Amino acid sequence: MAVSNLISSQLQLVFEDGLDDSGRPVLRNKNFNNVKTDATPDQLHAVATAISGLQQRPLHGIERNDASELFES
Amino acid sequence: MAKKLELKFLNEENRTVTISVDQPIEPVDAVAVNAAMDEIITQGCFFSSGGNLISKKEARIVERNVFDVQL
Repeated sequence: MAVSNLISSQLQLVFEDGLDDSGRPVLRNKNFNNVKTDATPDQLHAVATAISGLQQRPLHGIERNDASELFES
Repeated sequence: MAKKLELKFLNEENRTVTISVDQPIEPVDAVAVNAAMDEIITQGCFFSSGGNLISKKEARIVERNVFDVQL
């Protein structure tokens, strides 16, 4: 059976950066690497909120990008 | 010109770790910056090659100016 093992994690803040020609919000990603793989959603949400409060653009969403390696057990 | 807010922390090896934020709110609210940095340390969800972030070092606004040179 193959199993997966979390090897890296990234916090991604999605900000709105104005509107495009058709009036839809332009989204910009800001990534923070070096997130601990065992960080909890609560921790990441708190940090994302704190960082977002220091800049001007409205926060559109908070995402977490995880990478796992797969191997045969 | 493009400005960035740089949050500088010290890790367990006393080395500096920087987290930068684009388009910072100006004028900078020192209380808010302090609170955000404290929160990042408290939550402890970032690591660095020298271990956890353990203290605040400094915070600063960095501005980059670009001037084209006529060739």
